[in-house]
Amino acid sequence: MSALVQVRDLARDYSMGSGPVHALRGVSFDVEQGEWVAIVGPSGCGKSTLLNLLGAVDSPDAGSLTIAGERVDRLDDRAATTFRLRRIGFVFQRFYLMPALTAAENIELPMAEARIVRTERRARVQELLGYVGLAGRADHRPSQLSGGEQQRVAIARALANKPALLLADEPTGELDAATGLEMIDLFRRLNRDGTTIVVVTHDAQMAAAAARRIQMRDGAIIAEAVT
Amino acid sequence: MPFRLALLALLRHKARTMLALLGIAVSAALLLDMVMLATGMRDNFQGFLLLRGYQLRVAPKGTLPFDSDATIDSAATLVAAIARVSGVVAVSPVLGAQSQTTAHDSTVTAFTLGIDPRVQGDYELLRGADLADSVSIVANERWLALTRHRLGDTVQLAVGYDPQLRTVVGQRAFIVRGVARFFYTGTTQPTIAMRLPVLQEMGGNARRDHVSLLMVKAGDDVDVEAVRARIQAAGARVSVISLEGATAQVEQRLAYFRQLALVLGSISLGVGILLVTTLITIGVNERAGEIAVMRAIGVAKRSIVTQVVTEGLLLSGVGAFSGLLIGLVTAQWLERILADFPGMPATFRFFVFQPHDAGLALGMLGSAGVLAGIYPAWRASSLPIAGTLRREAVA
Amino acid sequence: MTRALVAAALGALWSLASPSVRPLHAQVIDSAPTHPSVVRTVALDARLASDAGLRLGDTVRISAAPNDTAAERVVISALLARRADPSEIARSEYRARLHLDQLQRLIGYGDRVDRFAIRSTGDSARGSLLRTINDAAFGFRAWPSAEIAVRTSRTFQVVRRFHRAIGVITIVASAAFLLCILLLKIDERRRDIAALRMMGISARTIVRSVVLEAGIIALLGSMSGVIFGIVMARLVNWHFQGVHRTTLAFTFVTGETVMLACGLSVVLGVVAGWVAARRLVTVPALTLLGR
Repeated sequence: MSALVQVRDLARDYSMGSGPVHALRGVSFDVEQGEWVAIVGPSGCGKSTLLNLLGAVDSPDAGSLTIAGERVDRLDDRAATTFRLRRIGFVFQRFYLMPALTAAENIELPMAEARIVRTERRARVQELLGYVGLAGRADHRPSQLSGGEQQRVAIARALANKPALLLADEPTGELDAATGLEMIDLFRRLNRDGTTIVVVTHDAQMAAAAARRIQMRDGAIIAEAVT
Repeated sequence: MPFRLALLALLRHKARTMLALLGIAVSAALLLDMVMLATGMRDNFQGFLLLRGYQLRVAPKGTLPFDSDATIDSAATLVAAIARVSGVVAVSPVLGAQSQTTAHDSTVTAFTLGIDPRVQGDYELLRGADLADSVSIVANERWLALTRHRLGDTVQLAVGYDPQLRTVVGQRAFIVRGVARFFYTGTTQPTIAMRLPVLQEMGGNARRDHVSLLMVKAGDDVDVEAVRARIQAAGARVSVISLEGATAQVEQRLAYFRQLALVLGSISLGVGILLVTTLITIGVNERAGEIAVMRAIGVAKRSIVTQVVTEGLLLSGVGAFSGLLIGLVTAQWLERILADFPGMPATFRFFVFQPHDAGLALGMLGSAGVLAGIYPAWRASSLPIAGTLRREAVA
Repeated sequence: MTRALVAAALGALWSLASPSVRPLHAQVIDSAPTHPSVVRTVALDARLASDAGLRLGDTVRISAAPNDTAAERVVISALLARRADPSEIARSEYRARLHLDQLQRLIGYGDRVDRFAIRSTGDSARGSLLRTINDAAFGFRAWPSAEIAVRTSRTFQVVRRFHRAIGVITIVASAAFLLCILLLKIDERRRDIAALRMMGISARTIVRSVVLEAGIIALLGSMSGVIFGIVMARLVNWHFQGVHRTTLAFTFVTGETVMLACGLSVVLGVVAGWVAARRLVTVPALTLLGR
């Protein structure tokens, strides 16, 4: 059986004032179904660029990217949007919840976009809130939640449409140490329950919790380690 | 969800939203007033001329009704000739003159109409009796107030007064039989009416068998323009003016109002579009991160565009509905101001509310709302997701 | 815009009840100049001359009615430019000036006039003259010109009130828009203001600078508006003077208008600046930064 994620010679350049910047220089790796991979490396090494490509919010200049059997690098904007909605869950460092919506509405948002019927949406919201331990916070707005709680809502939102792949960009970056550990526990539980996770992190504990670590520098993979 | 998000985005900055709504509402009110002014005057003028169903006016050649001192001679023959024209169901002759009466050491000069009470289309009787005989007159409230006469009083009226010689052509006693509301004279203009032959007789040679105007009613199922042409062919020394012709002539003279309405309406609409565009564009810039996140989690461009355009529509829609109410109030205010024009007939309205007008104003504002949302919606939907998220993270 | 057009346009409505014009009819008989001592002269409306292809020196027949046997030959000795009179602007009929006796004869008026004007030597003389004429009151009455002007300007006063009412509505809308835009403009600066607060700049200094900035923006904006208004006024005048063939100024920007526009805009700018700045300086700097 082929890997869930197949990255082959992926390259991405950016044009800056001083000339092109090679953010990714031909990266290749696979991620198996149910695997938890941490991508680590110093700032500017290309981690976030790689994550954006995996999440189909950016397009590579060269190479191929296949996720769940679909050539993501060949998707046009509309197809990429649908792909993100149905197959990818995103978790951001700064949570990025919609401040005007309640926790429940934030989780509901991707499902509403996917045209899931209201009753089913509501049931799924309750299920997810319970899963991330926020059953009593459904009607709270982001400003009424702590950082850890906001990140849990963000994770619930990412899981709303049962994605094939969960991508997380520094998910503990804005949290204190204790809350960060809680978040690692949640990711661990998610992975145990079958979610495939790729996480970009500086957090050594988060990286250590992952089954596999990919070390990057200057847009290239320099090492891989399996726990 | 796009509707809710749009609504919440507007509610997030209550002060600016309220100010924008106020501005749009007042602009919408002005737009409605100007639409009412532009279309209402025309419709009202047609209704004004059609008050008694006379579709045609026959005036001395080259003039508008009562536009000059000119009169039509051999009126009886002309009336009979017009009555015989196919399609004509009634002919109402009218002679206009000035009459004087003395009341309490002062002379009241009244606009005096000589009419045929069976077919007259110049007034409606408010109380008392109509012109039953040659000694009866009906008068408007203004004349009664100035002369301090009441129903049943006998008055001396003079016609053809020469101020230099202090002579009159004709003078007679009349009984005030009725109080009437005259359609085509101002409320401040003292006006009376008497039977046509009486006024012609009092006017002497200059008025004998003369009329100032003939009003002609064509049958309901008849082509009025064809009747107009037939009458015109029958009478070379008169101008036969149809409703459309009169409206066109008056419209030409009332062009100022249409132009004012057009200019002010366009400015209101233009400024409204600019404001809504600015407001929503700034809102979109402020929420660039949120929009990028929505795109990242799979929200389609179409949904983002819908949300932003909905914001524009909500702003202009709520503003426009409030504006309609304000517009009706301000129209009353402006109507009261314009009603003070000297000689303005009481039956004439500048601002006439018609659902069509409200629909037109709402339609224009709705389109303006959509138009105003297009640019910010385009900006929002074309935000580069990764770049925006990176910028937001740095900020 | 002009109050003139309104008055004239409304003339169409109340002319139904107020006869005033004495129509004359002119017919061109030849274009050859004739001797002035034989034929009387007439001054014709320049628009009529232009529309009918008439020139100075042309001879025309003039009468009270078409085909009137009492028509007389006259020579066009002068062309009249249309007076810049607002009340005449929308009336399309042509004007002619004849010798008084000739007009009286043509319209069968006898030795009569509608009115005549008297020039007095001064204010006191005018008063006594009015009293003398009115006491003698042989069938007519004398009015001071100023009083006639007041009586005949009622139309314009109504139009002025109408314009003012529309002006008030426009100003309310503009004020709301202006306040809104300035609030937006200042709200955009929340991060800069947060940075200034964190650097230790006092709230008072920040409010002052924001208010000053808002005032300057409002003033510059209104000055641009004044320039735009002047350009628009010229365009409007150019258009309507062409349409109505007149030298009447239909719209112009006065000092009062400029003062009102700039003054109102600066006041609104300062108020908006103050309100927005006060709101921002009372919010903790970290909150402004979104932390």
